[in-house]
Amino acid sequence: MAQGPVQLAPGLISFLKSLKTTPADPSVEHLISLLKRRQIRNSRPCAIATTALMLRVVGEFKGRDAAKLVERIRQVGRRLTAAQPREVVVGNIVRRVLGLVREVLDDNTGGDSHTGSDAGHHTPVHHDSMTRPTLSSSISTFSPLRHAAAEPMDASMASDMSDSSELNRRPPLLTSHTSYAPATSAPLVNSLFGLFSQPDDSNASTPTGAASPDGKSAHSLNLERLADLSRSTNIDLKSEVMDGIRELQDELEQSDEQIAGVALEHIHSNEIILTHTASTTVQKFLLSAAKKRKFTVVHAETYPHDNTATHGILLTGRKRETRLDEDDDPWKPLTAAGIPVYVIPDSHVFAIMSRVNKVILATHTVLANGGLVAAAGAHMIAKAAKEHQTPVVVLSGVYKLSPVYPFDIDELIEYGDAGRVVPYEDGEFVDKVDVEHPLYDYVPADLVDLYITNLGGHAPSYLYRIVADHYRTEDITL
Amino acid sequence: MSVNTPTAEKPLPGFDIVSTYRSILAGDAELTMPVAAIEALVEAIAHSSVSTVAETLALLEHHTAVLKAEIANPISLSAGTDLFQRYLITTLNRPAALNLGPGDDFRAIRNHLLSNGRLFVERAKQSREKIASFGKHFIRDGATVLTNGGSRVVGALLRRAAESSTMRFRVVYVLSGSASSDTKEGDQIVADLRAHNVPVATVPDSAVAYSLGEVDMVIVGAEGVVENGGIISRLGTYQLGLLAKSKGKPFYVVAESHKFVRLYPLSQFDLPIEQKVLEFRVADDKGTSKPSEDEGFFDMHGSTKKCSGINADDAVDFTPPDLISGIITESGVLTPSAVSEELIKIWF
Repeated sequence: MAQGPVQLAPGLISFLKSLKTTPADPSVEHLISLLKRRQIRNSRPCAIATTALMLRVVGEFKGRDAAKLVERIRQVGRRLTAAQPREVVVGNIVRRVLGLVREVLDDNTGGDSHTGSDAGHHTPVHHDSMTRPTLSSSISTFSPLRHAAAEPMDASMASDMSDSSELNRRPPLLTSHTSYAPATSAPLVNSLFGLFSQPDDSNASTPTGAASPDGKSAHSLNLERLADLSRSTNIDLKSEVMDGIRELQDELEQSDEQIAGVALEHIHSNEIILTHTASTTVQKFLLSAAKKRKFTVVHAETYPHDNTATHGILLTGRKRETRLDEDDDPWKPLTAAGIPVYVIPDSHVFAIMSRVNKVILATHTVLANGGLVAAAGAHMIAKAAKEHQTPVVVLSGVYKLSPVYPFDIDELIEYGDAGRVVPYEDGEFVDKVDVEHPLYDYVPADLVDLYITNLGGHAPSYLYRIVADHYRTEDITL
Repeated sequence: MSVNTPTAEKPLPGFDIVSTYRSILAGDAELTMPVAAIEALVEAIAHSSVSTVAETLALLEHHTAVLKAEIANPISLSAGTDLFQRYLITTLNRPAALNLGPGDDFRAIRNHLLSNGRLFVERAKQSREKIASFGKHFIRDGATVLTNGGSRVVGALLRRAAESSTMRFRVVYVLSGSASSDTKEGDQIVADLRAHNVPVATVPDSAVAYSLGEVDMVIVGAEGVVENGGIISRLGTYQLGLLAKSKGKPFYVVAESHKFVRLYPLSQFDLPIEQKVLEFRVADDKGTSKPSEDEGFFDMHGSTKKCSGINADDAVDFTPPDLISGIITESGVLTPSAVSEELIKIWF
């Protein structure tokens, strides 16, 4: 619709357009300002924008030095997450990209060091991930993710960590090689054996404080090593990483379809499905089931922050903001597929729950402990479902799965415009009463029965494994 | 293999593993049982003249069995001995792993172990500090934490949290009135915390349910973390977990990962130890003819126990994994279900 970028309202589309012509650094600034002004919001747009930006950043990166590339990505990532800490996906994508760089390095350099081990070059990833990750982004300061994982220091904010202190906390790169098994031996890369590891790398497991100097040297040593590796082996790091990022983009694009692919296994004929808020993932899921089955949808409208979007999705089948691929996808509302839809206010959820067969929730972020952050009202719905023993299914792309550990739930909850609840014109009311408008809810893990991601269905207690498979320990703390 | 099985070719007279273990444990108040056991085994190797892998393993097995038989509650200890044994098997099978150079692999490994005995202890202590630095983030400003017993890890964590000046929190400390060593350590932690200006209330076990309304989270230590993610901890932890669950309070366990032990208890009475907790008596019963509670009990290595049972002061119970919100280890915060994965990795 828009003819030039100038005429576009600032948002995802304008950003993607401008990214084609703008170099990386101004684009980073651009995205930061969009994030700060909440002109790009919600998980998917944030993820798409971050991935596109990362592609640009890596594309413009000069040189072959892997360590510098990692540092560059981290630096961009830190700024982006600081701009909008509650859009956790931004950090997720940055970590995924960092993981890509490391994977490319491992594939090319780790190959020889792991020959003979039947576990092959996958071992580092696996062992790195064996413990359950935890916590943190810019919201909580650090992540106790894994044994060599970042060692928290007493400073209370990640942001006021100087670069060098951050480096100290950072686990040495290639931990798995350096700390136990410099030459071969995947099996030894095991946190339970940490006690016995070789003394000369003790700094890897030395706790904080006292170890600062050591930590630093270990870090630089490892950086050098990384650099050596990237120099010595003749790999096209950049293009491989960029390929990886494009795969990530594909994943973002396809995750909804992949989730929708299993819809028929979860929605059966004549079931009554309760959902809430406006979510493309849920919409596609339901539509895909609607091709074969007849069922009834009860939609809680999520007043006041998402009700217009919810109405929009029910009328036209899509959210207004996400007009990405204008033509290629014929959007249909559920009603056009012959599905009866009842819109209820949030307050009716409990009353209607006894008749509901299944609750399907969309999510903003899924956390490492199996809990999730979703549009406000989700907790109430999940609780009501628990009360009625109704199964709760959460749909989420893997990109929303975050290694953040919810130490403090309040930090994750964003508050919106109170004027949506009580208009500011109602001066007398606003004067006398405090109005709050939380946008998100934290739903604890024990209220969720099943997560469906683009990888399949998982129990909440298994999510730690998926987190571990997708993020490198070293990258948890950006 | 029974305790007294004379492992004919390996009699090893001069070395008493049990007293070594005891003296190591007594010599350092900061030491945990698994680490002391590892230390004792290292000593044992040092005192022997084994020169082959098989000999070493046989020696270890022998000493482990002796040790387990002599110590009243070998669960925690067995975590250490098992870990050590697995480590040796893994490394000895793949000597190159240690990168000790081209020389005599076995001797190199042996030397590595012997020369670094202290290091293991240091590491173990460091892991406690590491846990403390992870774990203190669980304590939020304004929170009230309930804990029990005299776990040193919990103490370290709370102290660490207390030292950070930005945080104000309160502690409800459950202390049983008994004069066990546990209580003494608990008293020490309470005194330390109070010295750090942390308000601490000490309550008896019976006041847990009463206090829970004021509490935001429960943090407990553990003697052992079992395969299903449950914990073995001092008597009273189980009910603490149940109460916390019923009140919807998060229940965190802090434990070093060398406390992971390969046990799969399904109930309180599955533990491979004998505890004098449930003792049914009638008036004229002079403590005789106690029906052996342990029929069919399961010991990991099948050795029977002859030492006396554990009295109620030192007894432990098993807290099932569904009551636990998270296990804070030095390798990160695990869900209970992640424990088995860790254990599987070293055993299979």
